Amino acid sequence: MQMTRVLSLLTLLPLATATLTAQHPGGTVVYASGQEPTLPLPVIGQGQGNADVADQLFLRLAVLTPPYRTAGDNALKPMLASAWHRVDARTIDFTIDPRARWQDGVPVTAHDVVFTWSLETNPAVNSDQATLEPIASVAETGPRTVRVTFKRPFSEQLYLFAFGMQPLPAHLLERVRPDSIATSAFAQHPVGDGPFRFERRVPGQLVELRADSTFFLGKPAIGRVLFTYIADATARLNQLLTGQTDVMDNVAPTMADQIQAHADLRFVTAPSSTLIYALFNTRSSTDTAAPNPRLADPRVREALLLALDRDALARSAFGQAARVPEAAQSQLWGWITTGTTVGVKQDVARARALLAAAGWRAGADGTLARNGVPLALTLIYPSTSGARHTIAVAAQQMWQAVGVHVELEPAAFDAYQARRHSGQWDIDLAAVMQDASPATLVESWSCAAAHQAASSNVARWCDPEFDRLLHAATTAPDPVPAWRAVLARMTSQHPAIFLAAPVNLVAVNTRYDNVAVLPVRQWLALWQWRVRPGAELARDR
Amino acid sequence: MSGWLLRRTASAIATALAAAAVLFVLVHYLPGDPLAAVLRDRPATPDVLAALRQRWCVDCSLPHSFARYFGALAHGDLGPSPSENRPVAMVLAEHLGPTLLLGALTLLIDFTVGLALGLWAALRPQSRAARMVSALSIAGYAIPAFVVGMILVWLFAVTLGWLPPGAIADPLLPADAPTMTVLFDRLRHLILPLATMVIATIAVPLRQQRAAVLAVAAEPWVLAARARGVPPLAVAWRHCWRPALTPVVTLLGLWLPMLVAGTVFVESVFAWPGLGSLIATATEDHDVPLVMGAGLLLIVMVQLGSLIADLLYRVVDPAQRAA
Repeated sequence: MQMTRVLSLLTLLPLATATLTAQHPGGTVVYASGQEPTLPLPVIGQGQGNADVADQLFLRLAVLTPPYRTAGDNALKPMLASAWHRVDARTIDFTIDPRARWQDGVPVTAHDVVFTWSLETNPAVNSDQATLEPIASVAETGPRTVRVTFKRPFSEQLYLFAFGMQPLPAHLLERVRPDSIATSAFAQHPVGDGPFRFERRVPGQLVELRADSTFFLGKPAIGRVLFTYIADATARLNQLLTGQTDVMDNVAPTMADQIQAHADLRFVTAPSSTLIYALFNTRSSTDTAAPNPRLADPRVREALLLALDRDALARSAFGQAARVPEAAQSQLWGWITTGTTVGVKQDVARARALLAAAGWRAGADGTLARNGVPLALTLIYPSTSGARHTIAVAAQQMWQAVGVHVELEPAAFDAYQARRHSGQWDIDLAAVMQDASPATLVESWSCAAAHQAASSNVARWCDPEFDRLLHAATTAPDPVPAWRAVLARMTSQHPAIFLAAPVNLVAVNTRYDNVAVLPVRQWLALWQWRVRPGAELARDR
Repeated sequence: MSGWLLRRTASAIATALAAAAVLFVLVHYLPGDPLAAVLRDRPATPDVLAALRQRWCVDCSLPHSFARYFGALAHGDLGPSPSENRPVAMVLAEHLGPTLLLGALTLLIDFTVGLALGLWAALRPQSRAARMVSALSIAGYAIPAFVVGMILVWLFAVTLGWLPPGAIADPLLPADAPTMTVLFDRLRHLILPLATMVIATIAVPLRQQRAAVLAVAAEPWVLAARARGVPPLAVAWRHCWRPALTPVVTLLGLWLPMLVAGTVFVESVFAWPGLGSLIATATEDHDVPLVMGAGLLLIVMVQLGSLIADLLYRVVDPAQRAA
């Protein structure tokens, strides 16, 4: 009896707190982030959690729109910059929207852009200098006009500068030492120019933003946004299922059924930047200066590709919506190859024939061997990744069926990273988050990256013809066929087996209308979501 | 007493410094890229890479890094966290409170309810209820805490909807909500993680106390007291419980660090914004200064626990005071 009373009291407690919840015309969005937003400032803050909040506070000069093409001068939609025009092949002039204001009322000016550029190019503040290398200078040419000069002509100039630039308020930060901004009062309570104002941050718990009714592009349809911090994906799912949060991104296929069964939730999909692939190490795993005695032969690499049923592997780890790419291409780059690629299907007989042609014969235990050396390979992946473990186990069986023995060597993430950079492996089951720009292929696949000590080209793959095509594509007047040629060359050389390009599966409460989740910076359109009239919850009213 | 306390405190500080030095050496030789937390797989130009290596002392010798770190530590500076881009002390301070709240309440319940149940079970060793309590506590101890947590969340939050599934507070609660509302809200959010922690840990003090009381109950002075007709409660309180406290005090000293580090999985299941999850994330991100700072905090907790245990020994054991 006493227990019943206690439980009754506990069930009444939410009512007590709900009545005190503040009213928010326009509605509320509660989103659980896997990374805590501790420093939501462009340039200064790192990581997804900070960037997601910064996107609501600080406008970019321009944003990508479907199909998210990054090449050309008409690919982006104006935001903070009302217009731009090309002066010559290396110069673009930008005009800041005269209506734009910082949330303290001060106009946004060209000086803010130049000030932010000075922070971006300060290595003490921003370690990502390689991305900015193509930009020669950024100069004020008037109170609201900025001239950007590039070191060379290339087709993604607009994307590189306009999408990457989120100005900070110079009038509030110019007197703060650049390396002290992270601990300044401004960092505790940022003042932006975006659709939402910073309201409060509760360490370890949340960041609350309120709609800025004076936002020059229109009053946000959502009254407030709460970015709560929940590191564990299962805990995020529980929060969503119990109605504590409204949105969950990157839903794993194993969670999809529970969400689908919930009447108040629905799925929205967006192209994901994630790419999963099995990277071949064509250098020896014991002597990284020597060729890999097994994988240097392209016939072996092709045979390993043909042995796999990649559709089944992708589905098993990422559900029906995942695609199987033919090159290092996530779904973000659909504008290059949509409708043109023909996938290589599993062909066990041809895989066996290729291996036989390469001199590998069946040994006593069924594993192929050549000159007494078995065709045995090591495959590394981080033990924390359930998806990659699923793929690794299934792929191991498929390779075994053609006589290739693959030893799975999962490791803690740190140890995995150390090992992949050491070169002591045969196959790396890798996952990357790609940038919207295909030009970033240079970082992981070019000969230049192969020769850099700390580059992400850990396989040291180098194909001069691929490099030539890559260089041509960055300056091509018609970039689509040029990028197709780049990806086709990669496909023909088999530097890796490209396994899955998943979608970003986002679960959203059904009470929202006009929901858009963007592929590169996913919450950029959040200010245009709205709560359907009549569907409001207590926290929306 | 004050002389003893001074000597004991000095010894604790010396031990903590030695442990910190060992920790530093171990962290210095951790495998992995020391710049991983800074670069996060982004490309870096050679000059930026060189600047970063210098800033984070990547190529420094062990003695140089050691002198640099402990020199700053002497001024209370734990350095900046590369993954957070903020001072380590600030990051640790933000996460310490929730962990202490959960850990302290767990300890309080374990060492009040647990000890009481242990004493009660020892005084009725043959009763069915005592054996049941003992068996249930062992079952709770045997099941991993995160499994207990997930079951509780599924039952009380997802299925019944009585309690929130996690977090330390309702994010929708206004910042200026009345104190009582805030307290009720905290209580609701505390129930499931606290219950999980208690279920997973209460068996140890309970069984330790039960075993200690059973051992003491066979001592001649207890038998003599019973023979003199001292009431059973007085025998239990005066003659059994106090002498049986010594092993429990040892346990308390050992458990204080658990306040900080022992809640990793429970914090993860309940999205509790404490140090446990922070340490796990920092390790994953290879954030060496943050791992080192958290390690130092643990060392301090261990020494503090040990010091408190020694102080309590002197309270419960007159022989120690005399020594």
